[in-house]
Amino acid sequence: MKIGIPRALSYYNYYPFWHGFFSELGVELVLSDKTTKKLVTEGSALVVSETCLPVKVYVGHVLNLLDKDIDVIYSPSIQSIAPKIYNCSKLRGLPDLIRNVVNKNFLLIEPTLDKSEPNQGFYQYLYESVAPLGITDKKLIKKASKAGWECMNNFSIMTRSGVDIPTAMRNAINGKISLESTQKEGMAKVAVISHGYNIYDEQVSMKMFKKLKQLDIEAYTSYNLTIEQMNEGIKNLDTVLYWANEHEMTGAAGYYLKDDNIDGVITLTAFGCGPDSLMIERITRYAKRFNKPLLNLTTDEHTGEAGFVTRIEAFTDMLIRKKRTSIVNSLKRQVVKKEEEKRLVGVE
Amino acid sequence: MKITFPHMGRLYIALSTAIKILGGDVVIPPYNNKRTLELGSLNSPEAICFPYKLVLGNYMQAIENGADAVLMIDSPGICRLGQYSSSLRTTITDLGYNVKFINFDLYKGKLKELYVKFREATGNRNPITLVRAINMALLKINILDDVDKILSYYRARELKEGDADKRYLKGLREIEAALGHKEALNAKKNTIEYIKSTPIDPDKEIVTVDLVGEIFVVLDQFSNLDIEKELGRLGVHVNRQINLSDWVKASIIPSFLRFGDTHEEKARKSARTFLKRDVGGDAIESIGDVALAGKQHSADGVIHLLPFTCMPEIVAQNILPNVRYQQDIPVLSLVLDEHMGRAGYITRLEAFVDLLKRRKRQAGKSLKVAVNAG
Repeated sequence: MKIGIPRALSYYNYYPFWHGFFSELGVELVLSDKTTKKLVTEGSALVVSETCLPVKVYVGHVLNLLDKDIDVIYSPSIQSIAPKIYNCSKLRGLPDLIRNVVNKNFLLIEPTLDKSEPNQGFYQYLYESVAPLGITDKKLIKKASKAGWECMNNFSIMTRSGVDIPTAMRNAINGKISLESTQKEGMAKVAVISHGYNIYDEQVSMKMFKKLKQLDIEAYTSYNLTIEQMNEGIKNLDTVLYWANEHEMTGAAGYYLKDDNIDGVITLTAFGCGPDSLMIERITRYAKRFNKPLLNLTTDEHTGEAGFVTRIEAFTDMLIRKKRTSIVNSLKRQVVKKEEEKRLVGVE
Repeated sequence: MKITFPHMGRLYIALSTAIKILGGDVVIPPYNNKRTLELGSLNSPEAICFPYKLVLGNYMQAIENGADAVLMIDSPGICRLGQYSSSLRTTITDLGYNVKFINFDLYKGKLKELYVKFREATGNRNPITLVRAINMALLKINILDDVDKILSYYRARELKEGDADKRYLKGLREIEAALGHKEALNAKKNTIEYIKSTPIDPDKEIVTVDLVGEIFVVLDQFSNLDIEKELGRLGVHVNRQINLSDWVKASIIPSFLRFGDTHEEKARKSARTFLKRDVGGDAIESIGDVALAGKQHSADGVIHLLPFTCMPEIVAQNILPNVRYQQDIPVLSLVLDEHMGRAGYITRLEAFVDLLKRRKRQAGKSLKVAVNAG
């Protein structure tokens, strides 16, 4: 049995879980290829132009899987992750959107996770995930979910200790754990705030991490934080959890804005993202209050790479200069202090 | 305490009546205009939806006019609407205004929340007056929707352009002024009489269009450039599918006091083949309405209105081509925002109405041929 998983959106958050879960049940997962310009163009052609970039990318990945002759596609609808905590409409209606715009013959597995409804909890979601494949044994599903969580936890442990996402994903899938941080010391530390599907998609983020590494900058993301730290971040920004994916935006930003080790924050959002528009507004207002440098970047399918790089370079230059000045100033202050002490000793 | 609230079409009539009955001081902001939008856009996030900008503009203009308490609504729309009040509060505080925020949190309760918050806003503690005020507000919302339905018939068929509207506005003033239950019903009767006295051509060739979409832009005449009036001028009988009274029935009236299915429940059933789950906002209603428009309502076409970057309606807009194809009914989606140009808008409406008229004539012709042949 083979099912196709588009390498987009919730892939970046939940793939290790799906891998553990489906492998335990003997289902083979096939991923779509990495995002390319052609894939984005093909995806955009099927949806209205106002749709946000990540959804266009997702449609492109579904088409890519269908081109590979995969005729079962797994497209979950994550409605709500806790009572009254809902996701963005486009993610909630994702399978419906795919069913209506992709005019081809294929089986769409569309489980719904809705914790605001009484009968649509996690196990129901897992049941709906595999029932179309003929697996209906609830005990077996529960056992497989344990395997899923194991894989997911390994992944989280690795990302939190500083392993980059592609490596952590590879290790988790192969059942390995390596806690050696891949982060090298740089001249400044920057937090990159965005959804996983934006920054870890190299086409969308234009290889931002590589660029930052070349500029000798350490990059931190929400994947390096625990849920508790992100909850603390949300509290720092005087708000409460409203969106299902607010942890990786407001939570991470709130934490890093108050973290003295971080020199600056870069946010990356896709044009037309609804939840982000309000979250970024809050982050921007609070960055001013906390006096932390902030760069807001917006991307869509027409964004030029050159302009993007220039802005990141200018921002990191500014951070490094600021850091250098503050070090020089503190050294100066020390020298002045010592001279003052000497003078005082002389007077005595 | 001077209370204010944002505009949404003619909602102000219902809200100001309730506050007046309770003896509160009310500052109605100037109806949405260019300056409202300018003030709002200037202080809003770039990609926020259109209604937010207007609501913020309303508050700012009302505060300029002396308001010191603002009514807000947190409704379970489960889109960005749920964050409006907290974001507006941060913005208004950052702008340096010192006002009191009174928040109708419909997540917490329905009628009870209205009761408690009206009491807080006006300081009136008399339960009988409070119940009467809420009742009057709900009654006026129903009256306005009923009158609009009749108006739309006469608007499409009137002999002299703008005649029906003139009579309607005369009645509207009476409805607005009414404070008692009987008075309001009388005003309704009078208004309907005024509208019915419009000279019309009953045999005029008209087309019917269902108006669906996001509730704010469908109801607010400034946001949709008064689409119902423009369509009426083109000889279109508009059936507005999204009404405030339906929303009230679904979100405020408790379920044991309701009769029959709400509009949303009906839409949910008819949308099922296309959209299986609720995605927030009015998306499921938009799709359900389009699915019903052709066969059930015998409309000739559908116009779908949405504000720019509205998340639920973008999902609906993506699904609509499939609905249109399967139901064989023309649909025009219009995206509205502050950059909307009037001329281009009217051209698109005219082209769409032309298409509908031609389609109808052709269908009539083929019907005649079939009858003759039969």
